[in-house]
Amino acid sequence: MMRWLPRDRMLWLAAPALLYLAFFYAMPLVYLLGRSVIGPNGPTLSLFAGFFADDYNWRVIGNTLRIALLVTLVSLIIGYPVALALARARGMAQVLLLTAIILPLSVGVVVKAFAWQIVLRRDGAIAKLLVATGIWDEPQRLLFTEPGLVIGAANVFLPFMILPIYSVVKLIDPRLSEAGATLGASPFYRFRKIILPLTMPGLISGMAFVFSMSVSMFVIPSLLMGDRFQTLATLTGRSFLLMRNEALGSATAVVLLVLAVSIVVGSTILSRRIGRTA
Amino acid sequence: MNPAPFLDIRKASKDFGAGPVLDGVDLAVARGEFISLLGPSGCGKTTLLRIIAGLAAADGGSVTLDGQDISRLPPHRRDVGVVFQNYALFPHLTVAENIAFGLRAKGAPAAEITATVERFLTLIHMAAFADRSVRALSGGQQQRVAVARALATKPKLLLLDEPFSALDRKLRETMQIDLRRLLRELGTTAIFVTHDQDEALIMSDRIAVMNRGRIEQLDTPEAIYARPATPFALEFVGLSTRIAGTVTAYDPAGLVTVETSLGSLRSRGRFEVGSPVLLGVRPERIAFGAAGGENVVAPVLSDIVFQGARIQAHFASPDQRPVMIETSGALPAGLTAGSPVTISFAVEDTIAYPLAAA
Repeated sequence: MMRWLPRDRMLWLAAPALLYLAFFYAMPLVYLLGRSVIGPNGPTLSLFAGFFADDYNWRVIGNTLRIALLVTLVSLIIGYPVALALARARGMAQVLLLTAIILPLSVGVVVKAFAWQIVLRRDGAIAKLLVATGIWDEPQRLLFTEPGLVIGAANVFLPFMILPIYSVVKLIDPRLSEAGATLGASPFYRFRKIILPLTMPGLISGMAFVFSMSVSMFVIPSLLMGDRFQTLATLTGRSFLLMRNEALGSATAVVLLVLAVSIVVGSTILSRRIGRTA
Repeated sequence: MNPAPFLDIRKASKDFGAGPVLDGVDLAVARGEFISLLGPSGCGKTTLLRIIAGLAAADGGSVTLDGQDISRLPPHRRDVGVVFQNYALFPHLTVAENIAFGLRAKGAPAAEITATVERFLTLIHMAAFADRSVRALSGGQQQRVAVARALATKPKLLLLDEPFSALDRKLRETMQIDLRRLLRELGTTAIFVTHDQDEALIMSDRIAVMNRGRIEQLDTPEAIYARPATPFALEFVGLSTRIAGTVTAYDPAGLVTVETSLGSLRSRGRFEVGSPVLLGVRPERIAFGAAGGENVVAPVLSDIVFQGARIQAHFASPDQRPVMIETSGALPAGLTAGSPVTISFAVEDTIAYPLAAA
């Protein structure tokens, strides 16, 4: 009897959060889900059948996943070394680095997106820099292009990549790498066999954070890409706000949710397994 | 001519910015030797170890190992194994994987790795633990894995940084003897850092007594115990009775007479009349009664400390330095704290050191 009750009383500390989530998150979500599978004549999957029959919607799914993956990848490549440096830094240097990473979080996404609009313009800082260094022959516009979106989004989500990795790296005993060195392991071998596997949990959570945030971002693609480029999130927004098509909006929202959850959960399980055998 | 030493450290120096941590240290170690660096914390012994391993850069000096100057080589090219104080085992790997790490990093063939890992698991009596996570091991087991991991790559030199300090006393003693035997069987040249004089005396072929970034004495444990070269070595290695005084007579035969707060004492030594000296005697070389030697004093007994096999008698000393006897026999009858007791020791057992004028 009452098997489902938690044995550990400490678990009751999670009760307020669970109640909150149940009322304000799970219930609307269930409502949304209901809207997408219940038609005027009872339960139906016709909404999804219609959704998946449309090539345009497949392109939207493709856009969503491609951009989210690229943003995650760029954040990882930029964020991982920063997290290592942050964990190694001491005193004032660490305070400055942490401030530089956390302070931008206090600037709203809309403000940041508008700032990136300026930077990414044909006469923006990036174009000028690339022309000045001779990489580009003439200035080009990055605004309203996919690379521009990836650059802007990666910037916004970077702290969510750096901080989870940093919190894991700073717990790693620096002597482990020294021990590896005295055993004849080159710096690269030490990184591959000691640092990388030990930071894998931070890597996974950072990637899960950034992926789930960029798969569902709305403001950034709206401002950096415009209407011609749709992701599941912007399409959901348009369905509800502009097209007044709540059924389509519910369907895209559910597809987005299922995609995001399955990729985050799946990659977590996969990386754990890789981390264990590496 | 002696052959060139296996490990030759010349004028190693290091300064972290608050005075020298290593002050031009020279150290020569023969192949197969077990040397202890013994000293209090902050004496520079761990820094010297890290410089030999390449984990810290010396400000000056050179390190030559087996005829090759390794001063500028990165640690992974030095062929110097290290057992760290906290063992630094790789927490994400099993016992066997930890031991195999160095061989894998060097790209040894799989058959050799398997054979070496098995051999070391047997040597450290941990064959049954091969696939366990190192996190599940006790301190003593972790230490053995750390030693096996460092030895598996057959390093030319093994460095050990206080590897017993985290173990309890009983375990420590058996592990010291086990480790010494293992290293002797493998013919490993080893440098062992410790602040524990008993550990150094038990394990070492030679001990380097370090103080303030210098080696004060480098000799066999017996010689250091019997003839400490400096007051620091006398004080740091073993117990000692120490009495300060002033030289009142010098005899060309190499004997001095020293006036101390306990009376006039004689010792071997060459000092000018009037120079302040410190006299040292090992407590077990002092006898109750007047038959122990020419130096006879009668200090006031303050305390008797029973230590099982040995008993110490402590005496009040006017200059606050320890005056004690250590005996494994029975104490004479009728000793009472607070009364003077006649004790004596031989001139030959009395060592005199110059003392900076107070």
